Amino acid sequence: MSIVDLTSMGESQAELREEINDRLSRLQDEVSDYCFQCAKCTSGCEAHKLLELEPHKVVALLKRGLIDELVNSDVIWTCMSCFKCRERCPQKKVAPVDILFALKNMAVASGKQIPGKYTGMLQSILSIGLIQETQSVITRDNKTNKREDLGLPAISKPVDAAKFQMVLSKLAVEKV
Amino acid sequence: MSNKIGVFVCHCGINIASTVDVEQLTKYAAGLDGVVVSKDYKYMCSDVGANLIKDSIKKHKLDGIVIACCSPRMHEHTFRGVVEAGGVNGFNLEIANIREQCSWVHEDKARATEKAKVLIRGAVAKARLLEPLEPSKVSVTPTAVVIGGGIAGIQASLDLAEEGHKVYLVEKTPSIGGRMAQLDKTFPTLDCSGCILTPKMMEIANHPNIELLTYSEVIGIEGSIGNYKVKIKKKPRYVDLEKCTGCGDCVDACRLKGRVVSEFDMGMGKRSAIYMPFPQAIPLKCTVDSDHCLMITRGKCGAGPLCVEACEADAIDFKQKEEEIEVDVGAILVATGYDVMDPSNLYECGYARSDDVITTLEMERLISSSGPTGGEIVCPSNNEKPSSITFVLCVGSRDETECTWCCRIGCMSALKQVYLLKEKLGDDVEINVCYTDIRSFGKGYEEFYRNIRGLKTNFFRGRPSEIRNVDDHLKIDIFDTTTNKLFEIITDLVVLVPALVPRADADEFARILRISQSGDGFFLEAHPKLRPMDTFVGGIFIAGCCQGPKDIQDTVSMASGAAARAANILSKKELESEPLVSCVDEEICSGCSVCVSVCAYSAIEIVKEDNGKSYAKVNEALCKGCGACVGACPSGAMQQRGFKDKQILPMIEETI
Repeated sequence: MSIVDLTSMGESQAELREEINDRLSRLQDEVSDYCFQCAKCTSGCEAHKLLELEPHKVVALLKRGLIDELVNSDVIWTCMSCFKCRERCPQKKVAPVDILFALKNMAVASGKQIPGKYTGMLQSILSIGLIQETQSVITRDNKTNKREDLGLPAISKPVDAAKFQMVLSKLAVEKV
Repeated sequence: MSNKIGVFVCHCGINIASTVDVEQLTKYAAGLDGVVVSKDYKYMCSDVGANLIKDSIKKHKLDGIVIACCSPRMHEHTFRGVVEAGGVNGFNLEIANIREQCSWVHEDKARATEKAKVLIRGAVAKARLLEPLEPSKVSVTPTAVVIGGGIAGIQASLDLAEEGHKVYLVEKTPSIGGRMAQLDKTFPTLDCSGCILTPKMMEIANHPNIELLTYSEVIGIEGSIGNYKVKIKKKPRYVDLEKCTGCGDCVDACRLKGRVVSEFDMGMGKRSAIYMPFPQAIPLKCTVDSDHCLMITRGKCGAGPLCVEACEADAIDFKQKEEEIEVDVGAILVATGYDVMDPSNLYECGYARSDDVITTLEMERLISSSGPTGGEIVCPSNNEKPSSITFVLCVGSRDETECTWCCRIGCMSALKQVYLLKEKLGDDVEINVCYTDIRSFGKGYEEFYRNIRGLKTNFFRGRPSEIRNVDDHLKIDIFDTTTNKLFEIITDLVVLVPALVPRADADEFARILRISQSGDGFFLEAHPKLRPMDTFVGGIFIAGCCQGPKDIQDTVSMASGAAARAANILSKKELESEPLVSCVDEEICSGCSVCVSVCAYSAIEIVKEDNGKSYAKVNEALCKGCGACVGACPSGAMQQRGFKDKQILPMIEETI
């Protein structure tokens, strides 16, 4: 007996699914099984326009064990980790963002290619604490605004870059 | 003392037999001291099994019976009847629970069988020492108190009164009618709520067997099944019910007219400080709101209270005091209803940030022709007709962070309001419905849902993340899983369908009545399927939404059911009370009164004899047989029948 995805002929990867759920359960008690696809996460997703897969679909694919489709999508790298999906989930934080973190870590561990932009952003974070040196903001409807025009304060940089890097690398070890 | 004991081992189909070797067990039991017969059968609770027990009792002249089967909670009552029918006192029966406490919780058959032997050995040891007991009789007060004057309380009161029982109907607010009185129309038949409710309210007012106590609260109960004393607080209305004609002149005259928020209109309208909640109120009398009336809060009202001046019947009396009365009843029926969750808890709903985000109950008052706008649909912020209305379902419901349960009426009440709004506003008003699942489970509900789908309504399958104020509109982000698109709805009026929650005072009230609550805070039924109207306290029944969210149909059915359950008690002259209660050996008791302090049911008192000796006395009608006093008694004078030390200790000795 099996369930076949006739759209992409993908097969359920039950073991991988278990591994991800296991990683998630270290973060919280609940796993993807509780998701009833109300799509509240997607309704509020800040990066929705940029994503190949909607957040609620990330959970749905994990439930079905179609991990390849998740890993091969760029969604795992474009999520901007605002955590709104986790905050507002009515099923006690069945968070797409956490699933994506788990997948990111698994991708790195298995030696998968990380998008160049992403490593660039990491470098930028290590040196200045921001993903890019910018004072502009992109809103949900894709308009670019200067921070000061929106009445937002300027962003400060880390005072001691060396100490900052040390703390960050320490944190990075305690990954999902 | 029993010396001819029969042991009967039940297979419970395969429930017991698959994990316990019943044949070996039966043989083992036959060899125990005092056992003269030992038999097994597939279903001991069946007619054949019962006959097997009865025949064995007669054939072997048994005087003690041990049945190894399921938990005594399941079939002890059944088997007591069987044993009685066989001619032995029903309390000379001991159950060895080899299902819940053995076969269901073990896998290893050999070891489970050994454990079952131990359980039977213990039961036989106790059976040797059991004594016949007779239930005592208590007389029944054939009256009832019904708490809560909503549709559940109204239906239950009428049913009980029609059966000929005197009913005290206690309602906290100035009028009966409850939530149903606030509704305009009811789903799925679109009956006018008032039109079907007010005749029943009139019946309550005119029924010779019903004493209506409005603006009153139950503050305490004493006693037990068949004989309760209920303490009721009658709040001062500052209006003489005998004199008030309900003309409403005082309401118009009040200095605070139109300045006090109306709770009946869910805050959508204003009233005076002296008021009548709604035009069909029963009793049709005015009430002074003591939180706002200037005469009460400040002791003076301008040159003099205008209401008193306006009242021709001279009915207003600011000297009225709170009164406490006590009524004797045989049964108590609780129908205290529900509250609507305050959606301000969920920041993203925007309820606290915009006047144009309202709840279904608030919308109901807008739709109602007796509501604050006379049935005109307007946005509360600007009193203008909306061009777009959006419903958001499951607000706080099915939500692990707020209310985990489904409110059961949200989908249907929203669909009903869509229909009523379409009827009032026509097709030029856009109506959107954001839903997670539409649950149209009742009779005629699915048909109603289908009709609404045909009414040019925009259905979005998904939950909005946030409702924002943008200029003078509201914006909603909603991902629709049916089209796989993220939409932004720009709308004038948002109607939230909030969760239904237990009454704010449910915890305290449960404590007063000593009834239990389920995890969600609603009152707990004794069994979810087979005793849905009973509580664990004898003679106290529950009906309607105080037990959990319900629609009107289910509420009325449950109320009639609960009334029938209460009538079961009230129609009897006497009740048999369980004899498994505490008793005192007066010779040993020193009257130290430790037992009195641990008794949760106030069933024990200390009696003083003329010669100075004092001892404890148990009121058997009040005692529930919990055994707390037995454990607390320092001298062993307090014993519980059926569980006396001399019966329990040999059982323990055999078991360990």
